[in-house]
Amino acid sequence: MRYFVKRVVHAAVTLVSVTTITFALFRLMPGNPSQAMRAQFEADMEAGGGTADPEVLDAMVEQHIGFNPDQPWYVQYAEYLQDIILYQDFGQSYFYNEPVFDILFTAMPWSIFISVYGLALGYTTNILLGAAMAYKEGSRFDNYATVLATFLNSVPYYVGAILFLAFFGYELGLFPTGGRYNTDLQTGLNVRFMASISYHAVLPVMSSFIVGFGGGALSMRGNSIRILGEDYLRVARLRGISSTRIATRYVARNAILPLYTQMMIGIATVFSSSVLLEFIFTYPGVGWYTYDAVMRRDYPLLMGSFLFFTIVTLIGILIAEFTYGLVDPRIGSGDHSESY
Amino acid sequence: MTRTETELEITHDDRSSHDVILEVRDVDVTFDMERGTSRVLDGVRFDVHRDEMLGIVGESGSGKSMFASALLNAVVDPGQTSGEIIYHPPDGEPVDVLSLSESQLERFRWEEISMVFQGAMSSFNPTMKIREHFEETIRAHGEDIEERMEHGWQLLADLYLDPERVFDSYPHELSGGMKQRTLIALSLILEPKVLVMDEPTAALDLLMQRSIMSLLGNLQEEYDLTIVFITHDLPLVAGLADRLAVMYAFEFVEYGPSEQVIRDAAHPYTRALLKSVPSVDASLEDMHPIEGESPDPVDAPSGCSYHPRCPLATVECTQADPDYHEFSEERGAACFHWEQSGDEIEYALGVDPDEFPESTAAFESEEETVVSLDDVDVHFEQTGLIDELFGKESVVRAVNDVSIELRENEVVALVGESGCGKTTLGKTVIGLQEPTAGSVSYRGQDVWEAKAGSGDYEFDDIRRALQIVHQDPGSSLNSSRTVRASLSAPLKRWRPDLGPSDRETVIYNLLKRVGMKPPEDYAARFPHQLSGGEKQRVVLVRALLMSPDLILADEAVSALDVSLRVEMMDLMLDLQEMFDTSYLFISHDFSNARYLTEKSDGRIGIMYLGNLVEIGPAQEIIHDPKHPYTKVLRWATPPLDPDEAKEANATDPPIREIDIPDPTDPPSGCPFQTRCPDAREVCTREVPELQDTEGAARVACFREDDDHEYWASEPVESDTVSLKTESKAD
Ligand code: SF4
Ligand code: SF4
Repeated sequence: MRYFVKRVVHAAVTLVSVTTITFALFRLMPGNPSQAMRAQFEADMEAGGGTADPEVLDAMVEQHIGFNPDQPWYVQYAEYLQDIILYQDFGQSYFYNEPVFDILFTAMPWSIFISVYGLALGYTTNILLGAAMAYKEGSRFDNYATVLATFLNSVPYYVGAILFLAFFGYELGLFPTGGRYNTDLQTGLNVRFMASISYHAVLPVMSSFIVGFGGGALSMRGNSIRILGEDYLRVARLRGISSTRIATRYVARNAILPLYTQMMIGIATVFSSSVLLEFIFTYPGVGWYTYDAVMRRDYPLLMGSFLFFTIVTLIGILIAEFTYGLVDPRIGSGDHSESY
Repeated sequence: MTRTETELEITHDDRSSHDVILEVRDVDVTFDMERGTSRVLDGVRFDVHRDEMLGIVGESGSGKSMFASALLNAVVDPGQTSGEIIYHPPDGEPVDVLSLSESQLERFRWEEISMVFQGAMSSFNPTMKIREHFEETIRAHGEDIEERMEHGWQLLADLYLDPERVFDSYPHELSGGMKQRTLIALSLILEPKVLVMDEPTAALDLLMQRSIMSLLGNLQEEYDLTIVFITHDLPLVAGLADRLAVMYAFEFVEYGPSEQVIRDAAHPYTRALLKSVPSVDASLEDMHPIEGESPDPVDAPSGCSYHPRCPLATVECTQADPDYHEFSEERGAACFHWEQSGDEIEYALGVDPDEFPESTAAFESEEETVVSLDDVDVHFEQTGLIDELFGKESVVRAVNDVSIELRENEVVALVGESGCGKTTLGKTVIGLQEPTAGSVSYRGQDVWEAKAGSGDYEFDDIRRALQIVHQDPGSSLNSSRTVRASLSAPLKRWRPDLGPSDRETVIYNLLKRVGMKPPEDYAARFPHQLSGGEKQRVVLVRALLMSPDLILADEAVSALDVSLRVEMMDLMLDLQEMFDTSYLFISHDFSNARYLTEKSDGRIGIMYLGNLVEIGPAQEIIHDPKHPYTKVLRWATPPLDPDEAKEANATDPPIREIDIPDPTDPPSGCPFQTRCPDAREVCTREVPELQDTEGAARVACFREDDDHEYWASEPVESDTVSLKTESKAD
C-alpha cells in the first residue's frame, strides 16, 4: 500500500508545485497582469461615464483572477489554492467573461475525442506495423517500413498538420479546414450531426495520429524481434502451439508490455500537442483556448489550461504506474535475484 | 523427399541385436557463414537403444547441442540437416524424422520425442501461468485435457513439487530448480517415448542437479522412457547413464557402456577428458588440462580431428579419418592407435580416502590477518509492489552473523547453493557491500570508518588491496579497449614510477606467464578477439597488477569449459605464489573449491541461508564433513569411480526437502532445520553457533556438543527424500 500512497503523494506534490509556479509566474509576469487588468477595468468604466470606485475595481479583479491583489502574497496564494481545491474555481476568463472552469470543461470532450482517437489509431498502427516488420525482418518491406517510420518519427506533427490542411483541406477541398461541426445543423444525437463531427475530426485526428506514431513502431519491431529469439518461443513451437497463439499470446503480449508505460505517458504528449493542432485546425478544444488565451493575454484562462495539462499528464503517469503491475505479472512481486 | 519402404527396409538390416529406437545415419548439420560452411555435425552415425539412459558428453562447441536438435529435426534456421534419423515406434512403421512434413513434425514432437533445453529459466512465457502452458500443449495436440492434466499433476508430484502451487504460479515465482522440474513435467505431459535433454541442469546448483538426475532415473523406470542426456559434465552422468558417448569435433569419438568407458577409455580424447575433470575423489596430481583448443567448425583439421592435440598422433592420423574400431558389439572408438592409448595417457579414478593423512588438528597459521569480519549482518529490504499491497514487508538476510578471518597467502573457498549469501559475503569482505551490522576490518582498520575518512589507511588503498574477479569476464573488460590499454591503466595508477616501456615489459611478461603467447599479439587484441578463458586470464592479470592483498574470485571458473577449469585454477595458484596474495574463492561447485583449496592447504567455508555453517581445512571438510548440510553437499558431488558412483546413487540424499526455504522467510532455530535429516525439536527453537570440534573445523550444529539438550530432544517427524522409490502405485 505504501507504494500507492507514495505515488499519489508524489503526484499531489507535483500538482501543488505546478500551481504554485503558475501563481508565482502570474504575479511576476511583466507588467503584473493584475495591475494591467485593473487599469483596463478602470479605463473601461471611465469610458462608460462612471467613476471607478477602487473597491469595486478590486472586487472585479479578484473575481477574474481568483485572488485580491491588495492582500499580502501568502493570503492571496492561500485563497487561490482554496478556490481551486474547494470550489474548482479557477477564476474567470478575462476575455469571455465566463468561469475558466466552465470554458475548459465544455472544451475538454472535444480535445479528448481528437487525442484519444489519434492515439489509439497511432498505437494500433505502431503495433501492427512493428509486428509485421519483425516477422519479415530483413525483407524489403521491413527496410522500407523502417525508413518510413524513422521519417515520420522525425517529421514534427505540426508540419504534418499544416501539410494535411493545405493539401486535403484547401487544395483538394476534401475536408473542412476548421471547426468542430457544421454549425447549420441541429445539435443532438442525430446522424447528420454525428457525421459532421466525424468529418470535421478527420484531419485533426490524422495529425494527432502522427504524434503517436513513429518511434512506437520501431520499438515494437525491436521488442518483437527480441522475443522471436527467446527460448520460450522455440519451446512453444516445439510443443506444437499454433502460430496464431504464438503470435498473440507469446510475441504480441510480451512485446507490447514494455510499450505500455510509454503509451500512457504518450497521452500527455498528445494533449500538449493539441495546443498547436487545434490552433492550426481552428478546432475549439482546450488547446485552442490555450493558444487563444496566450494571444489575448487572458491570464486566468491560461493558468487554468496550464493546470489542466498538468493534471492530465499526472493522471496518465499514475494510471500507467498503477496498472503496470496488473498487466505484467513480473512487476511488483519482488523478483528475487539469485545472487545474494 | 519421402523415402520408400524398401529403402527403409535396407537400413533396418544393419540394426544390431539391441532394440533400437533411434537410428542416426550420416547426419550432417551445416550453416552457411561468410567465412565458409560451418559443419557443426559431421557425418554422425549412432543408435539410441530403447529404454536406455544415454549420456552424451562433450565440451562446448563439440556439436552436442546440434545432435540434440537434430533428433527432433529442430535445428534452428538457417541450419541445414541432411542424412536420416529413423525413429522406431513401439508399434507401427518406422519413420524418418528428417523427411517428415511440417505438420507431421508438429505431432511427432512432444508426442514421440520431446526435449528439455538448456535454458529452463527462459523456457516459459513470462506472462502466462504454468497451468496455461500445460493446457495449451494438451490442446494443441488434441488430447483430453482432464486426463492429461491429471497426468501432469502426478508428474509434478513425482518431481517433489506441489502441483497446486506450481500450476497457479507465473514462471518467475518459481526457483530455478522448480522451473527445471516443471519443464521436465511439461515435456512428459504427452507421454513421449524419448526425452532429449540438452544440458538441462547446467545452470543449477549441484544438489539440485543431483536430485534431478536421480528423479530422472525414477521417471525413466516409471514411464518406460528413453533418455538422451547431453552434458559437458562427465561425473554428473557417469554413475547414472547406461551408456556413454563422447563427442569431439562434431562427431562421436567413443561410445560404450558407461562403466567400461569410464574405467578404461579407449580414445585419447576421452582419456584426456577424464584426466582433466576436477572431481572430489581423484587425486590432485592426476588432474591435467587438455592442451590446445577445440577445432573450428568451418575449418576442421583433416584426418582425425583430434590430431593437433593428440599425444599419440602419427602421420596416418593427419591423413585419414579413423573409422570406429569396434571392440564389441556395443563398444567403439574412432582411433587408429587405441591399443597404445591406455599406456600413453594414464588416469586414475577414485583414490582411497584412507590414504589421506589426518589433518593437523591444530590448524593455526602464523600469517597475519588481512581482512576480518566480526558478527557481520547484511540484510536487504526487498518489498515489491504486490507485497506492499498486502502489507507484507520482506527482508532478505543475505548474511547472518558471520565472523571470519582471512590471512595472508591463504585460499579460502566459500561453497553453497545459490541464494545462500556467499556472493554478498564475498563483496562484504572486499568492502564493496556495507554490512548492516558488525564490522569489517582490513589489517585492523575498520573499512567503513576508513571510507568515512578516519583511520590509518586511505580508503583508496584498501580498495586497491582488495580486488575482484567476476564470473563473467566479458562484462568486466571494456570492449573498446585493447588488452594492453586495459592492463596499463592499473599500472599507471599504482606504479607511477614505471615508464611506458617498463609497463610494456611488465605486461608482456605477465601475458607470457599466463600462457598468452606471443604477448605482443595478445596485447593488441580487443576483448571480442579473445576466448572466454583468455578473457578470464586478462581480468585476473589486471586484478593482480594492483598488487592486491586479497582477490575475491566470484565463480571465476564456473563459466569455463570443464577441461579449462583445472588449467585456470592452476594458473591462479601459480600467480598467488608470485604475487603473494590471498584468494577468497566463491563457488557452488565442491569439486572446484576442493581443487583450489586442497592444493594450497586452504580452508573451505560452507554457507547456508546466510549462515556460515561449517568452516575448516579443505581436507577435513571434504573427507570428514560434520555438518549435516556439508554432508548433503558432499553427497551431491558425484565421484567418478563407477563403483563409488553406483554406491552413491543407491543412497538417498541425506535431506528432507529438495528446495531451499524462501530466503525472505527463513526457518526459526537452526537454518537447516527444515531439511536436516537429524533435526530434533530443539533445532526448531534454538540457533546453533559455530563451535570447535574434535578436528580443526568449526561447525554450527548441536550434534557437535555431546552434552547438548539436543540429545534429549524429540526427533521431528518426516522422512528423507526418497529418490530411489520403486514405481509408485497410484
Ligand atoms: S586417430 Fe590418431 S590423432 Fe586421432 S585420436 Fe587416435 S591417435 Fe590421436
Ligand atoms: S542443529 Fe539440528 S537442524 Fe541444525 S544441522 Fe544440527 S541437527 Fe540439523
